[in-house]
Amino acid sequence: MGKKKRGHPDVEEILSRPWCYYCERDFEDLKLLISHQKAKHFKCDRCGRRLNTAGGLSVHLNQVHKETLSQVENALPNRQGLEVEIFGMEGIPQEVLEQHRNRIIQNFYQAQEDRRIATGNPPPGQSKNPRKKIKIETAEELLKRFAEYRAQRKAVAANGGVMEGVVQTSTSFPQQGFNQPGFPGQQPHGQAPYNFSTDSLPARPSANLAGAPGLPQRPTQPGFWNGSAQAAASGDEIDQLIRMAEAGVKPQKKPEEGDEAGEGKSKKEKDKKGRMIYDDAEFSPEEKMAALSRYAYTPPVGA
Amino acid sequence: MAPATQYELSPPPGDAVSAIAFAPISGTKLLVSSWDNKVYHYDLTNGPEASSLVTTYEHRAPVLDVCFGADDNEAFTAGMDWTVNRLNLETGELTALSKHTAPVRRVVYSKSCGILVSASWDSTLNLHNLNDPSSTPITIALPGKPQALAGSPSKIVVAMTGRIINIYDVQAIVELFQTGGTDLKPWQQRESSLRYLTRAVSCMPNDAGYATSSIEGRVAVEWFEDTAESQARKYAFKCHRQAAPDGDGDIVYPVNALAFHSAHGTFASGGGDGTVALWDAEAKRRLKQYQKFPNNVAALAFSNDGKYLAVGVCPGFETGQNDYNGAGQTSVFIRELGENEAKGKGAK
Repeated sequence: MGKKKRGHPDVEEILSRPWCYYCERDFEDLKLLISHQKAKHFKCDRCGRRLNTAGGLSVHLNQVHKETLSQVENALPNRQGLEVEIFGMEGIPQEVLEQHRNRIIQNFYQAQEDRRIATGNPPPGQSKNPRKKIKIETAEELLKRFAEYRAQRKAVAANGGVMEGVVQTSTSFPQQGFNQPGFPGQQPHGQAPYNFSTDSLPARPSANLAGAPGLPQRPTQPGFWNGSAQAAASGDEIDQLIRMAEAGVKPQKKPEEGDEAGEGKSKKEKDKKGRMIYDDAEFSPEEKMAALSRYAYTPPVGA
Repeated sequence: MAPATQYELSPPPGDAVSAIAFAPISGTKLLVSSWDNKVYHYDLTNGPEASSLVTTYEHRAPVLDVCFGADDNEAFTAGMDWTVNRLNLETGELTALSKHTAPVRRVVYSKSCGILVSASWDSTLNLHNLNDPSSTPITIALPGKPQALAGSPSKIVVAMTGRIINIYDVQAIVELFQTGGTDLKPWQQRESSLRYLTRAVSCMPNDAGYATSSIEGRVAVEWFEDTAESQARKYAFKCHRQAAPDGDGDIVYPVNALAFHSAHGTFASGGGDGTVALWDAEAKRRLKQYQKFPNNVAALAFSNDGKYLAVGVCPGFETGQNDYNGAGQTSVFIRELGENEAKGKGAK
C-alpha cells in the first residue's frame, strides 16, 4: 500500500508544494522554485544574467542594456504583468493563491475520480466499513432480486439449472481472488461468497457462460470478457451494484452508466489526439487560398 | 509595448505574407512577398521609428515566394500567375524566366552554381541555368505536388504531398545542363518522418542536413549523409501546440516556417499559434520561445549576418474556412538578436 500511496500523493502533500506564480508549475522545494524563476522568468535575454525578481530584471535591462521590460517571459498570458513582485512563493496575491488552491483540489478529486472509474479501485485511504455494510445488505437483497430476475427472463428451466451451477463454482473462486493483495475491502471470509455472487450474477444474463471462470478472480476487469456495453462500461461492478441497490433499480440503470463511461472513454481518446487547426492531407492552406476568387488569376489565353 | 529590440516594419504589406528573404550581402535589406500582388522591399537601417519601405514591385497576381539571386540587386519571384520572374531591384524590371502550368509555390537559388529551381503545383520543377541566359529551362516531373523547397550548398530538397521527399544533387543539375539531358534522378528519395502534410523545409547552413515541419505541430530534423549512424540521428518533436481552453487535449497548429541561422546552425520555427521558437538542432534543445505574435506566423528569415530575425505575421488559414483576408492584420516584425541569443548552448 505504501508504494501505491507514493504514486498518488494525498491532497495535502500536493497543496504544500511550492509553485511558480508565472507558470503554475510546482516544485519539490523552494530552492528549485527560485532557481526555476531565475532561469525561466527573470533571465536577461541580452546577457543571460539571472535576476531575483521581475523588478530586478527591469532595472537591469534599463541600466545595462537601455531597454524596457514589458512583460515577464514564459509566463501564462494573465500572469505576465510586472506589477506584482514575486520571489519564490512570496508576493503572490491572496486571490491567486486561493484560485490555485481550489484548482489543485478540484484537479485532485477529478483525478481520483477518473482513476476510480478507470481502475475500479476505491480511492486510497477510504474507510472500508461503510462500503462493507452496504454490500452485506445488498447481497441478500440482490439474491432475492436475482431469483425474481431469473424467473422473469429465464423461462427455460434447464437454463436456470446451469446458472445455479455457475454460482456454485464461482463461489469457490472468490476466495482466491479476495486473498489477492491489493484488492481492498475484504475482511471476514464468510462474506466473500456473497460479495462475489453480487458481482457476477447481474451481469451473467448477458455474459457468455464460458467466460465465467475467468471472471471471479478479476472482477475489476469486466471489459475483457464482455463486449456488451453494460459490463464493459461499468468499470466497477461492485460499485455499480451498490448504486443499483440503493436506487432500487434493476438493469435499466445499466445502459445509463454505460453511456457515462463511454463518454469518458471517447474523451480520453481525444486527449491523445489533439485538435488540428488545419488538417488537409492533400492541399496546403496556400492552395485553399489560391482557390478563392479574391486571389484568382486568369491566365491570358494562349499562354 | 514591444521591447525595444523588436519592432514592426511600417508600412506593413497589404495582405498575407507568403515569404521573406534577406539580401545575401547587406544585412539590413529584405524582400517580403505578399498575396496583394506585391513584393515589398524594406531596409532596416533607419531603425524602428522611420518608414523602412524602400519600394514595392507590382506583379500580375499574388506572389507566393521570393528569393535573392547572385547579388543584392537581383531577386526571383514566383506566383499565382504560373510564372517564374527575375526581378531587378534597382530598375524594378520584371523578366519572365519560365512558365509552369499551375501556380508556382517556391523558388530557390543555388549560389554555388548559379541555378534557380522553381517548384509548382503542376508537380514539376523548372531548372534554370542562370550562367547561360539563353538556355531554356529544363522541366523535371515530380512524383507528387511540391509543398516546400529548400537549398543547401550542394543539395536541393523538395517536400511533396504523400510524404515524399526528393533530394537532388546540385552537381547533377549542373551536369544535366552540360549534357542537355532532360531526365534528373533524385540523389535520394525519402519518406518524410512526419505523418502529415509538410509545411516547410529548411537546410542546415553547414550542408549536413535539413529540417521539415508539418501541419500537425511537429518538426523533424534529418541528415543528408546516408550512413546508418547519420540516419539514426534523425528525430522529430512536437511543438506549436496549446492546451485547449476546455482542458480537453491540445490544439495543434501548423508549423508554417523554418529558418536556419547562418552562423550558429540553430533554427527558428514559426507556427499557427503565433509563436516563434529557437531550437538547437544538434543538442535537441529549445533555446528560446518568443512572446506570442498577434497572429499566425507565416514566414521567417534570418539576415545573412544573423543579426536580425524577420517574422511575417498574418491570419492563419484554418480547416473549413472559405474566405480569407489578411489586409490590415498583416505585419512584419523585426527582431534584433542579442549576440548569443541564437547560439546553441552545446549538448548537455
